[in-house]
Amino acid sequence: MLGRALVDEVLTAARRRGGAFAEVFVEETTGTSIRLDDGKVEELTTGLDRGAGVRVTHGTSYGYAFSNRLDRDALLEAAEAASAALREGEAGSVVDLRTLAGPLTNAVERPASDVPAADKVAWLRALDDAARGFSPEVVQVVGVYGDSLQRRLIATSDGRWVEEDRPRIRLVAQVVAKRDDNIQTGFHGPAACSGVEFIDSNTPHDTALVAAERAVTMLDSVPAPAGEMPVVLAPGMGGVLFHEAVGHPLEADAIDKEASVYRGLIGTKCASELIHGVDDATIPNGWGSFSFDDEGTPAQRTVLFTDGVLQAYLYDRLRAEKDGADSTGNGRRQSYASPPVVRMTNTNILNGTSDPAEVLSDTANGVYVTALGGGQVNPATGDFVFGVSEGHLIEHGAATTPVRGANLIGRAIEVMSAVDAVADDFDTWEGVCGKDGQSAPVGSGSPTLRISRITVGGTGA
Amino acid sequence: MPDLGELVRAAVEASQADEAVEAYAEESRQTEASALRGEVEGLEFAESRGVGVRVIRDGRLGYAYAADPSVDEVRATVGRARENAALTEPDEFNVLPAAEPASAIPELFREDSADVTTEAKVRMALDLERRLVTSDPRVTKVDFAQIGDATSRVAIASTAGVDAEYARTDAFVVAVTLAVDGDETQTGFSYRIARGLDELGLDDVADEAIERAVRMLGATKPPTAKVPVVLDRFAAMDFLGVLASALNAENVLKGRSLFAEMVGDRVGSELFTLVDDGTILDGPGAAPFDGEGVPSGRTELFTRGTLNGFLHDTYTAVRMGGGQRSTGNGKRGSYKGSPGVGTSNFYLDNGTTPFDELLRDAEGGVLIADVSGVHSGANPISGEFSVGATGLRIEGGALGEPLREMTIASTLPEMLAGITGLGDDLRFFSSVGTPSVLIGEMTLAGV
Repeated sequence: MLGRALVDEVLTAARRRGGAFAEVFVEETTGTSIRLDDGKVEELTTGLDRGAGVRVTHGTSYGYAFSNRLDRDALLEAAEAASAALREGEAGSVVDLRTLAGPLTNAVERPASDVPAADKVAWLRALDDAARGFSPEVVQVVGVYGDSLQRRLIATSDGRWVEEDRPRIRLVAQVVAKRDDNIQTGFHGPAACSGVEFIDSNTPHDTALVAAERAVTMLDSVPAPAGEMPVVLAPGMGGVLFHEAVGHPLEADAIDKEASVYRGLIGTKCASELIHGVDDATIPNGWGSFSFDDEGTPAQRTVLFTDGVLQAYLYDRLRAEKDGADSTGNGRRQSYASPPVVRMTNTNILNGTSDPAEVLSDTANGVYVTALGGGQVNPATGDFVFGVSEGHLIEHGAATTPVRGANLIGRAIEVMSAVDAVADDFDTWEGVCGKDGQSAPVGSGSPTLRISRITVGGTGA
Repeated sequence: MPDLGELVRAAVEASQADEAVEAYAEESRQTEASALRGEVEGLEFAESRGVGVRVIRDGRLGYAYAADPSVDEVRATVGRARENAALTEPDEFNVLPAAEPASAIPELFREDSADVTTEAKVRMALDLERRLVTSDPRVTKVDFAQIGDATSRVAIASTAGVDAEYARTDAFVVAVTLAVDGDETQTGFSYRIARGLDELGLDDVADEAIERAVRMLGATKPPTAKVPVVLDRFAAMDFLGVLASALNAENVLKGRSLFAEMVGDRVGSELFTLVDDGTILDGPGAAPFDGEGVPSGRTELFTRGTLNGFLHDTYTAVRMGGGQRSTGNGKRGSYKGSPGVGTSNFYLDNGTTPFDELLRDAEGGVLIADVSGVHSGANPISGEFSVGATGLRIEGGALGEPLREMTIASTLPEMLAGITGLGDDLRFFSSVGTPSVLIGEMTLAGV
């Protein structure tokens, strides 16, 4: 995208006041998004985005500037602006840029750009047909298809030159079901860093049915109970909770700001001994996977918990250098328009040994959560809340009547310590995580697991 | 570099005989400065521009965009949008609005914003952080202290005769503090959006962020009970966001709003008057026209509890029929997307009760200071919600012990009908404004 001589010149300009290192991030992204709503393919958008950002760092301080233009003048102007964040100092050097190569994490068999848009439109029509065919109670369907290819170049004054293409693809079904005055919704949105071969294993038909079944099931729901009770989380859902309630407080910026309940707890048992957790950017074609992070650090698998004992925090370069640690490859950014922030990739609770059916049958009463709608955590206090988009009562060891309007609320360490069963049926869930005004694709995963006691908020008795 | 007007007119000139073309261009320059531990934490400069093009052909809609395009690239973008239109389905309601003159709002652009140097902005961020960590012995750290400002320009032109431009300046501040007592940490936040950095009221923001953290120290989980609830203005704003979604005419037309069949019905209490107004200068959502060039207006969505109608863009107005006109609410997130229904300045009309009196009226109840999980825990289609909350017990007409780890659950209609008092303290902290709200009774779930 840019020649090495120009990049070298920009990095040199960015280091005019010194600092720890300078970095250039260049991106060219093309993408297609198609939306079907109300039975019609109502919009097809194609986009072309490009730009370059320059960052200069000093300790945990940084200056950042970006431009949509990739010409020499614009890039040097960005370098000048970014370096203004630093106090006057001696100019720093730029090490010879050397290409870093790593294993390819996100291999593509059939690039989305090779597939005619008409085929993608047909996938959404198939999705609409399948959802409406599921039940006459399905009254509305939104289908969204999106693919993009982000071509990235990362170069740093300490000699990194990394080029990586990141392919993304996602299919989303949102279904509304109605019975008399009762309206319920269902959502399913599988995604991957992959080519369109992803659609072979996540067909529009299957995607539609998962969402439609959720919506129709919830028509039979009763208001959720309120109070403390055991909760069983279906495969994948424990990963969502783990990402939000535990993962965010383990990000090194929260630790550095003393805004994390896990500060100072490395080597300490602060979850049930059944909890083995990792953040893993190397999972082939995972939604949060890559070969290099957005600072040019190779992707890695970081063990977070072993037998419930906290093993590590997640680092970008700035916080790693401050702590004398190595970056764990968790410096990620939404685009060239933003500097990297510390954030997760694919965050998973690993399989245990329990039989999922027994986990449920051993639970006398409580709530069985099959879909979470999203959540929020305050890393400093560990307080979190999750909306339950599909759940069922557990009565005498069986999942029975569906419940609506529930949420789960608790504190990270208490709740993770209250996990008393982890099954062996690992599955994933793909989401979009927001932090510091930036969003990024993240994977999460877990087997069925049970929390012995957690507060359920609901309107029922 | 071509100016924005030149780019959008080039797109219109590239239109073919049997199609409607609209181009929307925006450019912005933004600076953000954050401070931590007495040092600059981050200083960011953003400069971006781009053009998005809508092509409607035989009722079919195609969209394409490009970052910082040349005039030739804009013409190519029209071509891509045209190709995209060939693949979507015809919809007779896809039309572009006819040109209507919009009144300029010169106050949106503060010439003197450009006079504030980067050094001055950095100093403001550093001063803010210093004030945050030196005012109360229990607050010695911040999680986040940032100020920022932006200058932006928008241009829009279409084959329907729209050809308009405007410029605006914006500024914001965010503060998140950490209050510590022994092993316990609590956080407090505040923020403002305004037209210029000098209108942000940084001292008030700092005091709020400190107070909101410190008063939560020692918080406990309350027993489950039905009690009167006062939503403070930050908490009430979160609920207005859910209402906005249910009052979006697109959601109404597509069966995704609980209010679809309720026009003319008394839904909320007598105190509940809800307005969207893109012309009032008090709120940062003011603009002369929306993302399709339709002049901004004032829409009273609820009047004393009765639902009058919905927020419209051109598509939903035409589809609704019956003489419905766009309310000037065709909004765009950026040039990367076509317009959709959105709010401008969206506010709950002011009440008359002083805050202290609201507290007396809520004796034994709870002030909700912060709600979390609203985006996932509230369903604008069914109106049901269950959200996490923190707050303070109301005892003897004053704020008492702090409470955490509780949830409040109800339905939107029940909550709106249950409003028994409104504060006289309406204020726009962002483009959403509300006074403090007293709700006669809500279920609070804790232990």
